[in-house]
Amino acid sequence: MLDYYDPSKTDPGTGGLNPDLDYGTPPSPSDAQVSVSIDGTTIRVPEGTSVLRAAALAGINIPKLCASDNLEAFGSCRLCAVEIEGQRGYPASCTTPVAEGMAVTTQNAKLARLRRNIMELYISDHPLDCLTCPANGNCELQDVAGTVGLRKVRYGFQGENHLDAETDDSNPYFSFDPSKCIVCSRCVRACEEVQGTFALTIEGRGFESKVAAGQSEPFMDSECVSCGACVQACPTSTLMEKSVIDAGQPEHSVVTTCAYCGVGCSFKAEMKGDQLVRMVPYKGGDANHGHSCVKGRFAFGYATHKDRIKEPMIREATNAPWEVVSWDEAIAFAANKLKDTQAKYGRESIGGITSSRCTNEETYLVQKLIRAAFGNNNTDTCARVCHSPTGYGLKTTIGESAGTQTFDSVIKADTIVVIGANPTDAHPVFASQMRRRLREGATLIVIDPRRIDLLSTPHGGKGLHLPLRPGTNVAMVNALAHVVVTEGLEDTAFIESRCEPRQYNEWREFIAGERNSPEAMEAVTGVSAQLVREAARAYAEAGNGAIYYGLGVTEHSQGSTMVMGIANLAMATGNIGREGVGVNPLRGQNNVQGSCDMGSFPHELPGYQHVGDPAVRARFEDVWGVTIDDEPGLRIPNMFDAAIAGSFKAMYVQGEDIAQSDPNTQHVEVALSALDCLIVQDIFLNETAKFAHVLLPGATFLEKNGTFTNAERRINRVRKVMAPVAGLEDWEVTMALSNALGYPMDYRHPSEIMDEIARLTPTFTGVSYEKLDRLGSIQWPCNEAHPDGTPTMHTLDFPIGKGRFAVTEYVASEEKTNRKFPLLLTTGRILSQYNVGAQTRRTENSQWHHEDVLEIHPSDAELRGVHEGDWLGVSSRVGQTVLRARISERMLPGVVYTTFHHPGSGANVITTDSSDWATNCPEYKVTAVQVEKVTQPSAWQRHFEQFDQRQHQLLTPAAIHAEASDATALK
Amino acid sequence: MSDQQLQHLIKMVNQISANNLHHGDAEQSAEVIATHLRKFWARSMKQKIIDYAESDGLELSTVSRLAVKRLSEPQEA
Repeated sequence: MLDYYDPSKTDPGTGGLNPDLDYGTPPSPSDAQVSVSIDGTTIRVPEGTSVLRAAALAGINIPKLCASDNLEAFGSCRLCAVEIEGQRGYPASCTTPVAEGMAVTTQNAKLARLRRNIMELYISDHPLDCLTCPANGNCELQDVAGTVGLRKVRYGFQGENHLDAETDDSNPYFSFDPSKCIVCSRCVRACEEVQGTFALTIEGRGFESKVAAGQSEPFMDSECVSCGACVQACPTSTLMEKSVIDAGQPEHSVVTTCAYCGVGCSFKAEMKGDQLVRMVPYKGGDANHGHSCVKGRFAFGYATHKDRIKEPMIREATNAPWEVVSWDEAIAFAANKLKDTQAKYGRESIGGITSSRCTNEETYLVQKLIRAAFGNNNTDTCARVCHSPTGYGLKTTIGESAGTQTFDSVIKADTIVVIGANPTDAHPVFASQMRRRLREGATLIVIDPRRIDLLSTPHGGKGLHLPLRPGTNVAMVNALAHVVVTEGLEDTAFIESRCEPRQYNEWREFIAGERNSPEAMEAVTGVSAQLVREAARAYAEAGNGAIYYGLGVTEHSQGSTMVMGIANLAMATGNIGREGVGVNPLRGQNNVQGSCDMGSFPHELPGYQHVGDPAVRARFEDVWGVTIDDEPGLRIPNMFDAAIAGSFKAMYVQGEDIAQSDPNTQHVEVALSALDCLIVQDIFLNETAKFAHVLLPGATFLEKNGTFTNAERRINRVRKVMAPVAGLEDWEVTMALSNALGYPMDYRHPSEIMDEIARLTPTFTGVSYEKLDRLGSIQWPCNEAHPDGTPTMHTLDFPIGKGRFAVTEYVASEEKTNRKFPLLLTTGRILSQYNVGAQTRRTENSQWHHEDVLEIHPSDAELRGVHEGDWLGVSSRVGQTVLRARISERMLPGVVYTTFHHPGSGANVITTDSSDWATNCPEYKVTAVQVEKVTQPSAWQRHFEQFDQRQHQLLTPAAIHAEASDATALK
Repeated sequence: MSDQQLQHLIKMVNQISANNLHHGDAEQSAEVIATHLRKFWARSMKQKIIDYAESDGLELSTVSRLAVKRLSEPQEA
């Protein structure tokens, strides 16, 4: 269809551009403006803008096929040819930059004939099956044929052609039908420029040219990561979503936010009625600018999976069958259990866990329920086990518990330091942006026991890998800072004007000590002093040095110390407070930033305001109408300990699978089994729900309204596109529970919850749904001082005034190797699966990763006679599990690695309850283990299998019938 | 009361101490540690560690013991 530029249709937050239009070539970053005349219309555009884009900005759409505004101009289709006064011939407008005073003609008889001739050639080698083609209704080739007025093909259709080319259906989500291909190279360029994988190429020359994946392999066997950029770029139906082939073109769409990782990509959910046909990354989204990964783009089928819990259920005991009941009955049952528990064991005997997958509004409501209706502060969230040290460490040093930059900031970084993170797998869309910058020549420093894929960025610049021993991060960051201080690489002007002198002097004296030198630390970290010095210089002398870190920093016994060490390093080098620099935690889950912001932690009310502060409590008490406990509550591991001790008896868990994701599974299972009442609200019967007494159906992100906050503090709208399967959005369920407990809540829409958040949270005072709809998204702080939000933080000062250096003494983890446990296990993620896998395991993503494996170095494998694919028993001080071996040189000898996406793998059966000293964040990244060949699953796995089967039986109506007598007896 | 719970609390407070030995002398470190416990530990956890310190306390490191003693003293708001 033809698109006409209509300023009134411009979407918010897009700088006046319409994200639904393709302007042909990317914007020019130039500040200088030039004036051009296009078909008599004069327009001023930035210098360097293409004629094609300038025309589009003037509302004139020049036909094009190989151009797209997310790709550099290519100039191959020649359809965008124009006439320029004073120039000979017909230059391609996509590759021709504007010049001052240029006069362009986009339409005349000659141009029309030229374009028609080109289309005639294209169509002479293209199937004429438009009526039955899946792209019908959304085909650029068809549109351009219409636009140029193609009426006949003089060449006929009998000549040599590509119409018999075979379709590649290997990818589960899209098909590749080369018979429809016009070889415009958009897919190849999208794979290179947008995604940065370089999996596609044009093979052959001339008439033989064709798009090929990898070494002319099926897509699934190639390096393709199934991000969908090629599918989106394709102007025909060559690369086409299978869901569209099945369902036909969608008829309406809604812009919403992905519920996978902390990048928080904006998507258009394209619908047919209430059926989601496809998710298309939204160009107007400021986190992703129209890019996506295999999870957000394709792995949404879990929302309509048969395993969804569709009705509320209750049971008296965890070995009893589930009884399907009405919402009212389930809520009353749960509320009575909670009241009875408190009556019997006291006010502090119950608590709850907020969800980092749910919306800000839902998270806010759960912690409010706990503080106001339960009357205690026993609230925590999954950030406990991932980024709680970020909260502690950043608040202590730079005064705010959040990353300092936008994602876009990386485009101005000269040296990018990645510590304990694996962006290409865990934050893929941001990784593509990083790779873009690496291709432009930025230096990459990776501090990680594993050789991550970012180091193999095609056409990347200089890359340094510091493969340190797990558990020695603090030793490493101290050594880096030592080099900065002793080699005169400090930014003294920044330190003097922005940092507290007393803390700085203390720190400086400490860090300059010989024991922190790279030479002294070499024995601890295992990384050569020379390499450490080189890395420190590359960061400090870069101009702009930016640090990105993940759970490889936080999930250690010194996680908080390491976060402070990173902040020290950034302050010492003045790498904070402008674009291109900063300290950036890469958040794991979609709303883990939000769940922390919303007061999920037991010691903090929303906005990181301590419960011990009487003035803070007074403001909340005034609005909430209750007295708030002035003491912090229990954190998740403390809840487990108290449950086993018998003082903590009931728990409300919303959207969090603690039985799979928390360490030392057997300990968690004992704790959950000790509860008198466990209320689980989730979309599936997850591992935790198998220990529950009340199961409340959750709603997916497609079924509710609200907001998520991503890793760059960006608050994005989540918009409902289909009805919740069980009738209620999650916030409505929490509200019902609160009302049943006697604490009234009466919100009619999540926007009213956000209004309350804005009243009580100083960094949110300017946030409203109206503003979010108007601006598209907002990065907090958003208040009187920053009415439109704050892309870059700490530009002038810190929320605590001056920055506070912290002394970061290296204290070795107590989790040490010995003769019995000679290897160190570290854990991580892979691209296709997400967290505990509850969602992605129920999609075709499992084709890429159907089981967790143990990666082991060839030398460790040889020592144990282990071959690829062998079953390996992995034992730690707390448990044993069995995984298949994969021989890998990504880690150094002595280190083994696995993922935790499948519950039966039992990765967390072996992780211990060793934790961060400041926050109790578990030390997932360091577990001393032994590995040996075995022939059968571990005892825990065999038990898991039985328990899992039994719990699924208890869920089916047949079981309820068969077990009826049993159930009555239990009541 | 579970021994395991107490064991975890002892381990935690000793760990906090081990990471905060750089704030001047033992008394100053103890104050930093006590402040940390006040800010981040639940009421019941504080009470348990205080009870333990008063009744036995042998597994607490020296600085931990000083810190828990401070924790048990009344605090100005």
